[in-house]
Amino acid sequence: MEQQNPGPGKWQLFRIWANIGLQSFGGGASTIFLIQRAFTEKHKWMSIDEFTHFWSLCIPTPGINLVAVTILIGRKFGGIGGIFVSLAGLLIPSAIITCLLAALFQHIETLPAVQATIRGIIPATGAIMLLVGLNFAGPLLRKSSKEGIFVLLASCTIIVLCALAVILFKTPAIVVVLGAIVLGALFFAPKQKPGSVSQQGDEQQ
Amino acid sequence: MINPFSYFLIFLKAALFSTGGLSNLPSIHQDLLSNGWATEAEFGQSVAIGQVSPGPNGLWVISLGYLSFGYLGAILALLSITLPPFLVLVVASAYTQIEHRPRVQGAMYGVSLAVVGLTLTACWTILAQPGIDWRGLLIAVVAFGLALSRKVNFLLILALAGLTGYLLYR
Repeated sequence: MEQQNPGPGKWQLFRIWANIGLQSFGGGASTIFLIQRAFTEKHKWMSIDEFTHFWSLCIPTPGINLVAVTILIGRKFGGIGGIFVSLAGLLIPSAIITCLLAALFQHIETLPAVQATIRGIIPATGAIMLLVGLNFAGPLLRKSSKEGIFVLLASCTIIVLCALAVILFKTPAIVVVLGAIVLGALFFAPKQKPGSVSQQGDEQQ
Repeated sequence: MINPFSYFLIFLKAALFSTGGLSNLPSIHQDLLSNGWATEAEFGQSVAIGQVSPGPNGLWVISLGYLSFGYLGAILALLSITLPPFLVLVVASAYTQIEHRPRVQGAMYGVSLAVVGLTLTACWTILAQPGIDWRGLLIAVVAFGLALSRKVNFLLILALAGLTGYLLYR
């Protein structure tokens, strides 16, 4: 915390979130991508590990995960005030635009030009989503490869299983997460056996 | 005549049992239609608007609120999706109390893996839509490369994709 860059002020926080809200055309993929980039790359106020951790806490929480992660990041940088400034920034400008679009859209929705444009944007958001997934996966897989090839393979297998469970069997996300919790607790709990060749995380921090 | 309070509760209940995106749709759909407080067409339009408008996908309910119940509906819908995620503060504080147990660390690692899997799923769901042909996949590949390079402004990538779509599919 001490050696990280000092966090943003309230007004700056509001502007960052408003920017994220207003730029994220194409839905959640864009939003999470922009949050990731703003806080871990552009300003380096938090590490990708901390970001992944925040996001993992949001997954089992009811409601929109993006709103939950906004709450956590807002609290980190400004307590209760930070939460409200961040939520207001993310939601209010984009909600107003959504309302205006709703008023307008009834008239232009059926125009072929509008539909063609949307048809081009959708695959781009798919690509953005893939990049977000890879950004999440990077630190996890680096960490697990340090613990040996078996842990790395097991981690990749679980990722693939989670994806396939939803794609092939339409398993609800919450069931997938619960399954991953059980598997994680069973197989990935750090062991502290005396004499084992352990050079796990503790030392390098 | 719409009762604002039950209208709000319908949205809130759906948000509480969903995890974002369109997952609150089935519940709201059922409740609003059975009360005659929204039409099938309004649902279709709000989902479409949600795709186009900025911000999280979950904001689609705001257009539904607007279309079915005016500005008051939009505000109630916004409130309904803002409140449930505050439970994350409870989840976070519960987690800090037990985070040092090895099992909990293992479980959390499992959740992180599931997060990656679910993100890839979302990518798949977007790209496997019927409207996406090989040209759409080409757009995806180029967009991925541009985003990965971190040199091209994000809005520009989406604008280029939209322009390409306009030229290809109009």
